[in-house]
Amino acid sequence: MTAVGAPSRTPDTGRGGGLRPALWAEWVKFRTVRGWLVGLGIAVLMCVLFTYLVANGIHSGTCTGTGVTCHSGHPAVPTGPDGTAVADSYRYLSRPLTGNGTVTAQVASLTGRISTNPVNVAPSPSATRPGLAGWAKAGILLTPTTTPGSSYAAVMATGGHGTRFQYDYTHDRRGTASDAAPRWVRLARDGDTITGYESADGTSWHVVGVAHLRGLPGTVRVGLFVTSPVAFRGQTGHPTQATGSFRHVTVTGAANGGWRSQSIGAGRADFYPVLGTGGARVAGDEVVLTGSGDIAPAVVQGVLGTNTVASSLLVGLLVGSIVLVVLAALFVTTEYRRGLIRTTLAATPRRGRVLAAKAIVLGGVGFVIGALAAAVAVPVGDRILAGNGVYVFPAGVGTVVGIVVGCGLVTALTAVAVLALGTMLRRSAGAVTAGIVVFVLPYLIGSNLSGAAETWLFRLTPAAAFSVLGVLPRSSLVDYPYTFGNGYYPLPGWAGLLVLAAYTAAALGAARLLLHRRDA
Amino acid sequence: MAVAGSQRGISGRDRVATARTVQRSVTQPTTERITTVSEQTIEVSGLRKRFGATQALDGMTFTVPPGRVTGFVGPNGAGKSTTIRVILGLDAPDEGHALVGGVPYRRLGLPLRHVGALVDAAAVQPSRTGRNHLLWLARSQRLPVRRCDEVLDLVGLTSAARRKAGGFSLGMRQRLGIAAAMLGDPPVLILDEPFNGMDPEGIIWIRGFLRSLADEGRVVLVSSHLMGELQDTADHVVVVGRGRVLADAPVDELVSRASSGQVLLRTAVPTEATAALRRAGLAATVVDPRTVAVAGVAAQRIVAVLGQEGVPFSEVSSQRATLEDVYLRLTAGETQYRAAVGGEQGR
Amino acid sequence: MIAAILAEWTKIRTLASTAWLLVGTAVLTTGVGVVVVATTHQSSGGGSQDATKLVLTGIDLGQAVVVVLAVLAITEEYGTGMIRTTFAAVPGRVTVLGAKAAAVAALTLAAGTVAVAGCLIAGRLVPADGLGTAHGSAIGSITHGPTLRAGVGSVLYLVLVALLAIGIATVVRDTAVSIGVVLAVLYLPTLLAQAVSDPLRRHIQQVAPMTAGLAVQATTNLGKLPISPWAGIGVLAAWAAGALLLAGLLLRHRDP
Repeated sequence: MTAVGAPSRTPDTGRGGGLRPALWAEWVKFRTVRGWLVGLGIAVLMCVLFTYLVANGIHSGTCTGTGVTCHSGHPAVPTGPDGTAVADSYRYLSRPLTGNGTVTAQVASLTGRISTNPVNVAPSPSATRPGLAGWAKAGILLTPTTTPGSSYAAVMATGGHGTRFQYDYTHDRRGTASDAAPRWVRLARDGDTITGYESADGTSWHVVGVAHLRGLPGTVRVGLFVTSPVAFRGQTGHPTQATGSFRHVTVTGAANGGWRSQSIGAGRADFYPVLGTGGARVAGDEVVLTGSGDIAPAVVQGVLGTNTVASSLLVGLLVGSIVLVVLAALFVTTEYRRGLIRTTLAATPRRGRVLAAKAIVLGGVGFVIGALAAAVAVPVGDRILAGNGVYVFPAGVGTVVGIVVGCGLVTALTAVAVLALGTMLRRSAGAVTAGIVVFVLPYLIGSNLSGAAETWLFRLTPAAAFSVLGVLPRSSLVDYPYTFGNGYYPLPGWAGLLVLAAYTAAALGAARLLLHRRDA
Repeated sequence: MAVAGSQRGISGRDRVATARTVQRSVTQPTTERITTVSEQTIEVSGLRKRFGATQALDGMTFTVPPGRVTGFVGPNGAGKSTTIRVILGLDAPDEGHALVGGVPYRRLGLPLRHVGALVDAAAVQPSRTGRNHLLWLARSQRLPVRRCDEVLDLVGLTSAARRKAGGFSLGMRQRLGIAAAMLGDPPVLILDEPFNGMDPEGIIWIRGFLRSLADEGRVVLVSSHLMGELQDTADHVVVVGRGRVLADAPVDELVSRASSGQVLLRTAVPTEATAALRRAGLAATVVDPRTVAVAGVAAQRIVAVLGQEGVPFSEVSSQRATLEDVYLRLTAGETQYRAAVGGEQGR
Repeated sequence: MIAAILAEWTKIRTLASTAWLLVGTAVLTTGVGVVVVATTHQSSGGGSQDATKLVLTGIDLGQAVVVVLAVLAITEEYGTGMIRTTFAAVPGRVTVLGAKAAAVAALTLAAGTVAVAGCLIAGRLVPADGLGTAHGSAIGSITHGPTLRAGVGSVLYLVLVALLAIGIATVVRDTAVSIGVVLAVLYLPTLLAQAVSDPLRRHIQQVAPMTAGLAVQATTNLGKLPISPWAGIGVLAAWAAGALLLAGLLLRHRDP
């Protein structure tokens, strides 16, 4: 037997090393149970496996663009200068302009027609009724090329949103003029700087907006355009067509080429549902253009499907979460079952510290596992979807990183919430069941509820956190039913995470209170 | 270890002065102030606690000084474990307080460096190895990893260190629990029922071990519901029943108070022996055909008498009271307890 | 066998959580049913909703509570080591499993009957926006054949889910892991089916225990179901039987 000197110490009531020793102890506890480490591996594997299964099970279904069914692959979706998917289809009457110059025109009238057939039925000119889409556009547009997706700047009158200066699909400035025609608009080029003006009378001009289009070539095309997007009644979209009448069209600068009328992006292979390709007619001073389509960010038009880099991840993330829920419950409830909690609390009498240490360890593990699973699953799902000819909304590195971090946070917060539940209940059954049902149920019963009730489920329940998977583009420049049924979560990802975080914090608070009050 | 026995009776404080020369603990921070060991006591004062209809603790009060093995005895349900849990800050008493070294346990910074405790030997995660069980405890107290191997060696578990604790026998788990208690090399040790499940070899080991800890000047509190186990180990016992202290005294004193002073003589010829002893003026009676009882005399005197008279005998034994006898006497007035105590002593 | 069943019945009856779980099954099932009916809308895509199926949506949640009840009946004994006492008292492993299954099934049958009856009654009382006689999709009286089939089938569904849970829990032996596995087996294929497109969707719905088993709730448009009502219950019964068979085999060849 070793002879140990009788140690004598003044109890150091003040210090104790803070949280770190407890944290380290909990980490050792976690990593020394092999079954739990195996569980982590299973969580990642299951997540990737289910993402693979889901992605494999998704095929390009009804792929009807302008009433055209594409049998393999998806229709052409242009991408804008920043890499996001855009709609770029319109009627364009244009001529080349070399160097600086201006284009001026009066939009004398803007009228339209709306198809009575939904977008997935081939439109016919007879099945229409009068009506103007809110984002029907008529105005002046400058672009280096007429290839869909190219850079542009335009000033325009709209059906219901006043005068607008827009460039490169996502940038938008509103003028002061009312929707009441006639309105005067002017676009001026000075090097890379494009300025949009408006006027009520054609004499006093106000700047609506300025764009700097970098790398603009010496010769660009300038001219008049008209387009009109799909209009929605409830969930059903109907293609529309607009007719704009222009007067007093003047071009200054070196504009030598002849006028040419083109239908941009409304071919059979193009995705945007249009009501005819329109046309252009010149009668004396009056120029009349008819067009259909949109120049805006592409949102789902019932044509592209709702597939994003994250869309096949949902079931996988749920499976991974279920495995983590089980582990999180076990991490604390086995201590209660074995009486080990007494040893733990004797070693660290500050119980809040024990709970914090456990939460940090599980949160950290949960984050790494969730993020790792997503980081593997996203490219796997993406590749398989692409291989199936399914259209996947383009996503930048930032979006993918957001999904990966978001998934990590979902699993981390879930694990911590279940830990808190397990601490409160001291039994695994309740914690595990609650942890699983709360996420799964909104997806199961949501589709039976009314749209509003379903929306509230994803706003108020912990399932709101799955909003991190909602990366479909949303734009204020496109009228569209941004509903859950169309793949849009009611909350942005960060807000959904905050909802789950609030639940987790409440559970942790209650667990802490009970842990302090109760005898171990 | 042999020396330890001879030192019984020396007060703890004196012994500590000599024991201090022994190797310093590896865990002791250098900044720590050296204080007298007398500060290290367990003080339990007026604890009351009620679980539903049961009054588990009913004014439990005692003090455990360093330098001796203090037994904490009483039947199941007497309040021993509850008291220990209160000392360790696990349970909150309704009234009263428990202090370790003058402060409540919950205010200790790295408590295992002050108090080592074995609360429940079965409390291990079955799929964790014995060494890893100690490892997380060591991490929680900022102790070096080598301390785990040291205490495993101390309790003789080195060969089983990397086996899953779920496969341990109860005796091995007790050793693991004692190793955990020793991890922080604490001046105060509290062991709840350490003899449970121990094999005879283990019981002998643990007796010597407790002895040496006390000799080093530590506070050693050992509970057991089997009082016989503590009779040869403890210097002092706190006897409890129904949540109260019934006696708080040295073992020798309690035992001699309860002893009858009878000597039993085993012989093939009881009638002759009785006659011989009576001739020498001793009060002898035949108990059964092979046994004679002699009252109020030392065993040596009987041996001398029988030797002179040439009476054959096989064994002379002093009839010493046991802690169980002590307990029965202490609770004699409390009839409600009879059944419970009798049940436990029914062997 | 009778003695074994009585023993198991006594054990599960005296488990503190049993009463709560039974009440929970009935209350949650009915509650969700009421909420769903009260907030349901006639889907704009046309086609009337199946009102009976809708009001029985609560089974989605109620089955989770049944799973907990069934799993606890097995794993509590393994957790406390009481399983050894049980096997000492009744050495026939399969007899014990059968007795436990019978006790849990009886309790689930009772709670399920209350829950389903509650749903059907509530469905007739709660006014719903999109439902009603005007649409010809109101909940039929219990004597109405398809409604009766949906009601009886839902109770049977819960009983079979309980048996499936008993089988899986006996294989797994740990509460948390068992509940995780059973709920995953029930819920995940359902979500998977929602996520993929035909024909895979239809195949999943035909073989997965929850989607196949719940086909019995349908009262209208039976032709569009991936699997016919009673065949669906059969699929679930096969799952439960498979789990129990595996449990029985493992019990015989494994030391408790």
